[in-house]
Amino acid sequence: MDFFLQLVVNGIVVGSIYALVALGFVVIYKSSSILNFAQGEFLMLGAYVCLGVMLSSAPVPFWAAFLLTLAFSVALGLLLERVALRPMIGEPVISVIMLTLGLSAVLRAIVQGIWGTDTRPFPQVFPTEPIHLGPFPISQGYLWSVGSVAVLLVAFGLFFKYSRPGIAMRATAFSQQVALSMGISVRRIFALSWSIAAVVSAIGGILLGAVRGGVDGSLAVFGLKVVPVVILGGLDSVLGAILGGISIGILENLSGGYLDPVFGGGVKEVAPFVALVLILMVKPYGLFGKVKIERV
Amino acid sequence: MRCGDFKTSYAADMAIFETPVSRWLTIGFLVALLAVPAFASSYWLDVVNRIAIAAIAALGLNILTGFTGQISLGNAAFMAVGAYATAAMAGKLGLPFPMTIPLAGLVAAAAGMVFGIPSLRLKGLYLAMATLAAHFIVEFTASHWDAMTGGVNGISIPPAKLGPYELADDAHLFYLCIPLAAFLTLFARNLFRTRVGKAFVAIRDQDISAEVMGVRVFRYKLLAFGVSSFYVGVAGSLTAYQAHIISPENFPISLAIDQLAMVIIGGLGSVQGALFGAVFMTLLPELLRIATSELAGYFPHLTTLFAPLKTGVFGLVIVLFLIFEPDGLAARWRLIKTYWKLYPFSY
Amino acid sequence: MTRRRLFPMLALFLLPVAGLGQEIKVGGIFDLTGITADVGKPYGQGVRDAVAWVNANGGINGKKIRLIDSDYGYKIPEANATYKRLTGTEKVVMINGWGTGDTEALKDTVSRDKIPYFSASFSAHLTDPKKTPYNFFVGASYSDVLRSWLAWVKQDWKDKSRNPRVAFFYGDNAYGKSPIEAGRRYCKEIGLDLVAEEILPGIVQDATSQLLDIKQKGADYGFTQVTVTNTSIVLRDAKKLGLNVKWGTNTWGLGENLIAVAKDAAEGVVGGMLNPPFGENVPGMAKVVEFHQKNHPNDTHDTNYVRGWSYVMTWTEGLKRADKAGQLNGEGIKAALETLKDFDLGGLAEPVTYTPLDHRPTTKVDLYQVQGGKLVRLKDVEQPRKAEWLGI
Repeated sequence: MDFFLQLVVNGIVVGSIYALVALGFVVIYKSSSILNFAQGEFLMLGAYVCLGVMLSSAPVPFWAAFLLTLAFSVALGLLLERVALRPMIGEPVISVIMLTLGLSAVLRAIVQGIWGTDTRPFPQVFPTEPIHLGPFPISQGYLWSVGSVAVLLVAFGLFFKYSRPGIAMRATAFSQQVALSMGISVRRIFALSWSIAAVVSAIGGILLGAVRGGVDGSLAVFGLKVVPVVILGGLDSVLGAILGGISIGILENLSGGYLDPVFGGGVKEVAPFVALVLILMVKPYGLFGKVKIERV
Repeated sequence: MRCGDFKTSYAADMAIFETPVSRWLTIGFLVALLAVPAFASSYWLDVVNRIAIAAIAALGLNILTGFTGQISLGNAAFMAVGAYATAAMAGKLGLPFPMTIPLAGLVAAAAGMVFGIPSLRLKGLYLAMATLAAHFIVEFTASHWDAMTGGVNGISIPPAKLGPYELADDAHLFYLCIPLAAFLTLFARNLFRTRVGKAFVAIRDQDISAEVMGVRVFRYKLLAFGVSSFYVGVAGSLTAYQAHIISPENFPISLAIDQLAMVIIGGLGSVQGALFGAVFMTLLPELLRIATSELAGYFPHLTTLFAPLKTGVFGLVIVLFLIFEPDGLAARWRLIKTYWKLYPFSY
Repeated sequence: MTRRRLFPMLALFLLPVAGLGQEIKVGGIFDLTGITADVGKPYGQGVRDAVAWVNANGGINGKKIRLIDSDYGYKIPEANATYKRLTGTEKVVMINGWGTGDTEALKDTVSRDKIPYFSASFSAHLTDPKKTPYNFFVGASYSDVLRSWLAWVKQDWKDKSRNPRVAFFYGDNAYGKSPIEAGRRYCKEIGLDLVAEEILPGIVQDATSQLLDIKQKGADYGFTQVTVTNTSIVLRDAKKLGLNVKWGTNTWGLGENLIAVAKDAAEGVVGGMLNPPFGENVPGMAKVVEFHQKNHPNDTHDTNYVRGWSYVMTWTEGLKRADKAGQLNGEGIKAALETLKDFDLGGLAEPVTYTPLDHRPTTKVDLYQVQGGKLVRLKDVEQPRKAEWLGI
């Protein structure tokens, strides 16, 4: 029982990072119906930039570096939206997906060119002493990620429900043309959503770098790992992203703990996808996704 | 030179080659292609073989994604199924290649139809994710079913043989791959003149209306998965013969993404486009490599920068293509041909 | 005679003549951008630098080496294509390769084409000339390293009431599985209980479920057969969970970088290092440090960089001997390499011996331990050169 509970707790904690990245996916999808496969690269870029700022010739404390990285992410989101995504308005969805895949390759190459492929050690930000939740040790970095996820969940929930930009985003996602005719600047909405997504991923990347102790190119793989999370939760649901992230985290840990010895390993990676297919057969738009009503 | 569309019969309207000139040009091109091994080096023959294999896979993906509108990321998995099936049949049963290649295609088609079942309920990106799941499931099976697949160490395939003949080197494989690719291209092109092909296109355009009109959507969706996976399985089988040893690492997810890129850059929904895309995506890394190795001669200290440069330029080319040429290479080719046809009266 | 077999035959005839020309072409296949690039890049840099040093210091009896290197990103199909290009178009006489997966995939091809193939894969599957006559590497095999670590465990374990319990952590790939069978057998042989074998994915985010499993099974010692990045995550998670486990790893897991990334979680880790850390006081290090400082003082310089140098020192000796014998071709180089006996590398690696029946260059493993944030040499362990261990 202890084993089980520990796995669950660890799953929640690890899943919170997935949820952060998934949030980025969802925000972009909610406003522009694009699945941005470069999200993992935003994560990696956030971690590298933070590291670069902290280790630069004028050493900067972590909090300042954190905020600077967020500012950089806003700029990155705006730039990418303007340069790459604006021309793709109206193109079929699959072309846009391919574009984001191409963008992810470009971003990865830029990171490798500037920082190389070595694993760069991340300075100790959180004390290594784990906090004990009852009998379960949890590293402090992960606690921060659970905390930030909770805060962001509430923040985004309120944002999309009550604030003007949030409602404008939902309107744009529903129908760009109607939103335009209502006076909403669709271009600004896209820019805003990409910036938010970049910021959220950067937070995830920094936390992940701090927890792992090192930053390297493998952080980008998270983009692909988080896609089942997003699909499971529903592509346009913030709550779904967060619950999806946590459930996938729990599922991975449980299947790793119980099924790995049976199958000789590797189940941890496949299990989320198998679960995904099964759930999609029952709920084709994900657990909380909006059901698309097609009119002929 | 044609200056208009003057068809007088249904047969002429549906013809694959619109003029005798284009028909003879294509045949001439194929004949010239067959003379290539006489003067190409082993490496470039290998490149052309890989182009042929990529073309077959891209044709398959095009049938599924371009013509039937089902986004699929499971290509690499079905290639793996075809390759491992060939390894089993050629290695363990010692069957000759005219049997193993079609059979491998059929095995892959069966797998494709099984993983196509979610298409009953899922659409668009959700379906793409279900096929992505198929990829990881197949990869997991290949890595762990040691008895059948050799696990992570891979399995070796004896050279393709037919009786006493062995296709031991790239030139021989060339004579297998190119005719096969040509035949499958013709088949694909022809598929869209038939009822089945038109049902596929109807499903892509508006599947609810298609159902209402009497097209049995689920059955045709499964058939699309099946036919597409057959093509991809054949490509996988040829990969097995060409690589001589395959392991799960030969079929990563980036392979499926590359093939999707081929189809999109070539032009979604066009057989010619699949071919253009395959040639483009296979030659681009080669050109980049030649360029960087030339530059390495002049700037040796920048060698470590060239590796990410290659990946970066590759991604950048894809991005630029999609921004400036969203309809693909096939559309651009058509525009160029039209320009010359109407010269100097282009409008 | 097929075209494929014609080229190597022609090459064999032409190469001694070509040898009279000024260049010896050697192929290089490195991972500069793939998942093992964190150790692959310094290695590639080491090979390049060492070749430049050799060329500047007399070359191969006056002839210069031209290293044709390329990056394959740890993708096996890329490695295949690069190999075809190097042997078909560029006509190299030997290749300095990299990873286990692709080296094992190419092993039959290199035997058929008679191209000596040095790999940075220390897989024992490449040491039996009956199966892989053209494969070589410089340093003790993964299996010997694992056995040496297990021997250290046996000697470190002080409790006489029971056997120590050992767990293996490895990736689900050819590199990961390479020494495991040898490890299993040796555990049985010397009386260690192998209680768990945990599989790690290619990119480890979190190893908690695997670590909880070994905690349940009461493991006292753990060994990782992955690279620095993944090892550091295992170490940190183990520290977080408060596991009372002593850790060991192989040459790709232990290095200066592990200490930098895992920080205090790396304390006490024992590993087999096949090459000394950069700058260690051994006779051969002087030229390495000097060349590095002169040409790119700010770039990477760790034990993997030194490894690249040790490889080049070894095969250039083979090339020199083959050239003196007038046989600068695949078979001649193989024969020349097989005359190396206790060839001294000035401490950059253990002395190298190849024979026509045994391509294990050495069975001596240097065990290092992380003490106080530094790599401290513990002891050298020499595994007996048992015939039945050849190829496992």
